[in-house]
Amino acid sequence: MKNTIQWGLAAGLLLTATPSWSQTVPAGQVTLSGTLRDAVTNEPLVGASVFVKALGLGTNTDETGAYSLPLPKGTHTITYQIIGYEPQQVTLTLSGDATRSVKLGAQTQQTQEVVIAGVRAEDNVKKAEMGVNRLDMKTVKLMPALLGEVDVVRSIQLLPGVTTVGEGASGFNVRGGAVDQNLILMDEIPVYNVSHLFGFFSAFNPDAVQDMTLYKGGIPARYGGRLASLLDVKMRDGRQAERLTVNGGIGLISSRLSVEAPLIKDRTSVALSARRSYGDLFLKLIPEQRKNQAYFYDLNLKVNHRFSARDQLTLTGYRGRDVFNFADVFQNDWGNMGASARWTHQFTPRLVGSATAVVGQYDYGLGVPKGTQAFEWTSNIRNYTGKADFSYQLNAQNTLSAGVSSTRYQFEPATVKPLNAESIFVALKVDNQQAGEYAAYIDNEQTLSPRLQVQYGLRVSAFDFLGRGTAISDYVGAEGQRKDPTNTRIAKDGAVVKRYANLEPRASLRFTLTETSSLKASYNRTAQYIHLISNTTAASPLDVWSPSTNNIRPERGDQVAVGYFRNFQDNAYEASVEVFGKRMDNQIDYVNGANTLLNKDLEGELLYGRGRAYGAEFFVKKNQGALTGWVSYTLSRSERQINGINADAWYPNKYDKTHNLNVVAMYALSPRLTLSGNFAYGTGVATTFPNARFVYEGLVVPVVSGDRRNNYRVPAYHRLDFGATLKNRVRPDRRWRSEWVFSVYNVYSRRNAYGIYFRQNEDDPRKTEAVRLSVFGSVIPSVSYNFNF
Amino acid sequence: MNCFPLFLTLLAAGLGLLSSCTDVVPVDLPEPEPQLAVEGNITDQPGPYTIRLTKTGAYFTEQELPAVRGAELTLTDNEGTTETLRETAPGVYQTSRIQGKIGNQYTLTIKTEGEEYRAATEIKRVPRIDGLAQQVKTNEPGWDDGYYALYNGPELPGVGDYYRFKVFINGQLQNDPDDLIVRDDALVDGNYIGSIELNGDPLQVGDSVRVQLLSLPRDYYYFLNEMYTQINNVGLFSAPPANVRSNIVNVNAKGPKAVGYFAGTAMRSAHLTIQP
Repeated sequence: MKNTIQWGLAAGLLLTATPSWSQTVPAGQVTLSGTLRDAVTNEPLVGASVFVKALGLGTNTDETGAYSLPLPKGTHTITYQIIGYEPQQVTLTLSGDATRSVKLGAQTQQTQEVVIAGVRAEDNVKKAEMGVNRLDMKTVKLMPALLGEVDVVRSIQLLPGVTTVGEGASGFNVRGGAVDQNLILMDEIPVYNVSHLFGFFSAFNPDAVQDMTLYKGGIPARYGGRLASLLDVKMRDGRQAERLTVNGGIGLISSRLSVEAPLIKDRTSVALSARRSYGDLFLKLIPEQRKNQAYFYDLNLKVNHRFSARDQLTLTGYRGRDVFNFADVFQNDWGNMGASARWTHQFTPRLVGSATAVVGQYDYGLGVPKGTQAFEWTSNIRNYTGKADFSYQLNAQNTLSAGVSSTRYQFEPATVKPLNAESIFVALKVDNQQAGEYAAYIDNEQTLSPRLQVQYGLRVSAFDFLGRGTAISDYVGAEGQRKDPTNTRIAKDGAVVKRYANLEPRASLRFTLTETSSLKASYNRTAQYIHLISNTTAASPLDVWSPSTNNIRPERGDQVAVGYFRNFQDNAYEASVEVFGKRMDNQIDYVNGANTLLNKDLEGELLYGRGRAYGAEFFVKKNQGALTGWVSYTLSRSERQINGINADAWYPNKYDKTHNLNVVAMYALSPRLTLSGNFAYGTGVATTFPNARFVYEGLVVPVVSGDRRNNYRVPAYHRLDFGATLKNRVRPDRRWRSEWVFSVYNVYSRRNAYGIYFRQNEDDPRKTEAVRLSVFGSVIPSVSYNFNF
Repeated sequence: MNCFPLFLTLLAAGLGLLSSCTDVVPVDLPEPEPQLAVEGNITDQPGPYTIRLTKTGAYFTEQELPAVRGAELTLTDNEGTTETLRETAPGVYQTSRIQGKIGNQYTLTIKTEGEEYRAATEIKRVPRIDGLAQQVKTNEPGWDDGYYALYNGPELPGVGDYYRFKVFINGQLQNDPDDLIVRDDALVDGNYIGSIELNGDPLQVGDSVRVQLLSLPRDYYYFLNEMYTQINNVGLFSAPPANVRSNIVNVNAKGPKAVGYFAGTAMRSAHLTIQP
């Protein structure tokens, strides 16, 4: 029976995995289960490892700290461990299913500061996954931060294989992918725009985030819908809090306050966080600025409730917003919001299932409230998602997971309304659209021998582009030029205009070379059905998401990667080298001078082509001791080929960086004082320089000979930052803890070029000049104060 | 070098200490292969109409672009009129008889250096201007105190009209790169365009303001819009640098390409002198 299922999977016969699970347990196997908790706070330890070294068998604890490990009958020595805690070994003789819960004591303060939560030290070498980086907020908070704003997205940009088009640009680029090719999930809620203030700060309140994992390759079959990566951000849920705990911080840009509490001990916990920038409050003191507003905020709420040892419900809510009001002249606001509810049920210790419902939205509005130019312009994307996921520990060698998901998307690309009778504007609407995205997956993690572990799975995805009273057109015209609509017809609400389907195989393999080193390989195919239509250097808050349509085809990507992983000095250091290659279809580009906003015939301005990326990533990380941190170096190339651009030849993507080096170091000088530093170096981004000019009606117009694209590089980027965290003395009779965080961004005040632009001289129009724009042209110091009690 | 507050919005957010900088940097560019550059119009106003031919020059050259002399230019309309243009100054070619009319189509043929180029255009309809009005603003957010000239006039019913506004103050065309104002009528179709400010900096008593409203063929609107993007292209959300379109087409598809535009426009204008 066991073999049938495995071979059935290998042959792609997914449905053979449906028979009664209990029949598949071989005789002589028993299950050891239990929960791991912190010895002092009693909080569950998530992602701790439980393993029998002699057999090469092991598992991790789940979100409730629970584990279940199938073992042969007999006597075993079981090791329980998680970074930051003293490991424990227990010897047990098993003759039937047994339960053993364990409490682990925390290690000394210093080493605990910089742990990567939920990860065991040897995972780097022992797990089949590759292309994965985990960051724990404790680490991120110690790193120097721009203006003291601890920033999830900026810290991700310091990882191997991740680039950005420039500081202050929204989002990040993974292994040569575009910013919209990252699936960013906050407890399953998709975050469509990861930035506040155009890209200067991240949409994640650092006090609300527990940890985050970036999958650059080997994306689990459970996830899909984006080509390049998955950033899985887990939020704090209050389970870590033994009693009511308040965290807060006062910074130059924003202030934060969060509350975590167990409402009912071991049953219900809640975490609520808020953050708001407050520069505009000072504006109110200046009479002529009183009517202006400019701020961002976000609110996070997470509730966790355990109905029983087997049933758990998690609710997450999020709302973040940027607001700009210039008196009665102009208004603009935008933001994400969403909610998710997940119910987890343990059917048996080996079979765990969950059902999740998610709503997500991104929207913006802008307008002029008064006068003859009064108007209001709104746009939004919304998704309603339901999914069911199951994980089944078939036996000691196989862990199966499978699930289904269904999403309904609604798009309102643009609606413009005049606000009064004198307004010169008429109502204008780019038709609403909707779509359905469906997926089913099955995945098996299989230990073939103590040396060889494989993970293989298949995701089947489908997409329906649906009408919503939507005008549908075909487009005709010359290749590479703006095309005109033809054959326009109306698709009724819910009518299927176009259906797409993709098979997305995913596989990875780990071969252990020695106790501390392994080779890994992976392949995955990903499909992307919704696309951010953005023709600017950095994605703008006004960019609109579009579904795949009868004209826009789904993007598809194939990635292969191989890697060598090695840990040193008893896992104090982990190191890896990964080489990847990627091919992408149906990449979207734009005709010269494309208008992507408020355009009913947007699809006539899109071009489609191929992408490719390849590179090598070198990564060394030190996890233990007073000095921790990492060095990452990436050598890579990311290009595209679009008919109609660059004489149809391949050209580098804007975010292509040949060399990318990052050094992140944290040094615990004393129990109270930690110093930190970042150094970043990267090849300048690719850009287009003109070399000729003509004059049209007195204005100098640049000409790029041969119509080349991205034929130059801006100068190399480099930057050094320092930070220091000083904990104030603790009075033993008080619960109050506080710290000062100092940071200096861009220590040597380098004018890194965001771009080089060509223009006629403002004073003498006959003269022309090249101008460098530096987003941060000077050193930026900051100080903030954090507390908790 | 010029360091200025990053965005007005950042300033308002209290982030005044965040400053972005622009400075002029030296850049080495390869010498370009000169191309034919064309600049010219036909309007519904009385002629003569002028076409200027030059060669493109290196981007950083401060010299006048070389004129293209001795070219053979012919202009034809859809009524069967054909006229050969006369070179009145080096690289400057003028008509003498032909009269532009709204609704007519025109083809310009240029023969030079063994190549033949053609450009087609038309003159589109244009609405009337009812007149300009003046307004004093004091303590209005977003505006400096002073006099402003306001545009008043109808827009024609039916989407598909494109316009350029040229503003002359005391006889001087406002012609900085960001003064190139082109608009389509999708958002204002058939509405009365009332009380729209024509000047950004306030005017003084006695200043004269003239506005010219030009109707544009769609492709010419795209040309001017792309040109606006390329000559005002600085910042976080800049567009990819790219060549602006041209309607000057080499008859031999493999021959050298030309840049620039020959456009048909209809023009209406209005005038105001600021009174106390």
